[in-house]
Amino acid sequence: MSVSIREATINDLPQLLDLVLRLKRLNAEFDPLLKTLPDDELRRVAEEYIKTAIEDRSRYLVLVADADGKIVGVLKADVRNRIFYVPRKEGYIIEFYVMPEYRRRGLGRTMIDEAARLLRERGADVIVAEFPALNQIAVNFYSKADFRPLLYIYARESG
Amino acid sequence: MAEKWYELALRLSKFYGGKIMIVPKVPIRGLKDFAIWYTPGVAAVSEKIKEGGSDTSFEYTWRWNSVAVLTDGSRVLGLGNVGPEASLPVMEGKALIFKYLGGVDAVPLPVRAVEVDEIVNAGRMVEPAFGGINLEDIESPKCFHVLERLREGLQIPVWHDDQQGTATATLAGLINALKVVGKNIRDVGIVLVGAGASNIRTAYMLIKYGADPRKIVLVDSAGILHAEREDLDKLMLEHPWKYDLALKTNGERKRGGVREALRGADVLIAASRPGPGIIRKEWISQMEKDPIVFALANPVPEIWPWEAKEAGARIVATGRSDFPNQINNSLVFPAVFRGALDARARAITDEMTIAAAEELASYAEERGIREDYIIPTMEEWDVFPREAAAVAAKATEQGVARRPLTYKEELRNATELISLSLNMLRSLVEGGFIKMFNGGID
Repeated sequence: MSVSIREATINDLPQLLDLVLRLKRLNAEFDPLLKTLPDDELRRVAEEYIKTAIEDRSRYLVLVADADGKIVGVLKADVRNRIFYVPRKEGYIIEFYVMPEYRRRGLGRTMIDEAARLLRERGADVIVAEFPALNQIAVNFYSKADFRPLLYIYARESG
Repeated sequence: MAEKWYELALRLSKFYGGKIMIVPKVPIRGLKDFAIWYTPGVAAVSEKIKEGGSDTSFEYTWRWNSVAVLTDGSRVLGLGNVGPEASLPVMEGKALIFKYLGGVDAVPLPVRAVEVDEIVNAGRMVEPAFGGINLEDIESPKCFHVLERLREGLQIPVWHDDQQGTATATLAGLINALKVVGKNIRDVGIVLVGAGASNIRTAYMLIKYGADPRKIVLVDSAGILHAEREDLDKLMLEHPWKYDLALKTNGERKRGGVREALRGADVLIAASRPGPGIIRKEWISQMEKDPIVFALANPVPEIWPWEAKEAGARIVATGRSDFPNQINNSLVFPAVFRGALDARARAITDEMTIAAAEELASYAEERGIREDYIIPTMEEWDVFPREAAAVAAKATEQGVARRPLTYKEELRNATELISLSLNMLRSLVEGGFIKMFNGGID
């Protein structure tokens, strides 16, 4: 089974959406503050969010791993301006999910490398990833891919 | 039926004040002998062990024959989380069987522990006192984490009977069942209903024994397990073993429930929840020719044996002694530990477990297997030394034995130790030191 990595088109949306929803449910396992919306609402919001990203290639990157027509991985990054720092632009990965049976064979790493290349083409010289603090698997993955902790995001309920 | 046993168990447990005790195994000719068994003599034994290294303790103390029955009481029988004190009668019963059928000195050890780390630490801390640890009645998936970490960390065998004991007996029964119907483990479709401690371990054992993982299908309360199920990431975090099986098994990508899983399957192994009615007759009639049905839930199997037969099952096994083909872990653990202890094994490897299953199967085969006899019964006690011998020989072959033993040596040894244990109890009863309760206990 060959897997190719390419930028997403609008036709990928239905399949891609499932993977993003899986990611959100996975995130919810790590902290109650990452509890997801009710299913139908979550799906609606996610669809809109991904559609926007696919349609605006200057501000977003949506990569998919395509196994003979089946979407088995997704990576979505935002191209953001950095107001105070250099480099001035960063590619900010928020969504990154690979289907379980396609894990542990280097696909994630290939996707990250391809994302880095394409983000650089879009002017982003830094690549940043966001994930739940307790997701040790992600910590290990990004550390192995030469990422390092840059900022901490701490949260609590305001009440 | 069960009410009668409940009533007797309550009355007699109170009458006897539990089920086991410690009895010295050396003569005491007079109080002066304490100078040998205790101070000052014992100091020399202590020093001997200190100088000779910790393994010397197996030669000079009871350690060679002792097992801790360790539990947190979090999943006791079908009762659930009853806590350590309420688990004690069960652990005592286990220790009783250990002694009676295996000649093993087992010590009930319920501990006040909740987290995996705490139970693992408890195991680690008591390691010096025992030749083995039998984990018991710990909830899933906690039991998998505890077993794996203790197996990695300790130099004595650690075994979780709810997983391995049941899986071993299941494999033994399946080996012979397949012979009876003339099928090969490599070709058959196997459906495991229930993905608790025993079936998860059974799946791994079947794969190790040669079953094709792609032809194994697990079904749990959420339906057929497959690589794209929505809860897979949750499993990855909480139950890596089940996650791993989700990726390895079900090559055909069956989806749905038990009905869909059973369509065209050769073997059903149900270890889910008490029946009847969990497995339906019409599902069994959808299986391949000559279905093999193991319905292992207690006290009532997932489907009654006669119902399974009516639906076309060729061979039926249950967990009960009042039906033919009882898949019972008591056929396994006393002998596995007998063999492992005698070889002073550092571990009970999967291969040793498979050797036990094969020996159980051979024993029955030699007596003539048929549809209603695929596994020895508890009465055939001479199967225990044979299993022990197979386990010790495998430990020796694999280099995990501190004291290498051949099959023949251990067969003689185990026969002696197990009959000694049976005879000792008989003589205590005959001598009137243990009161008989036959008929009435007053």
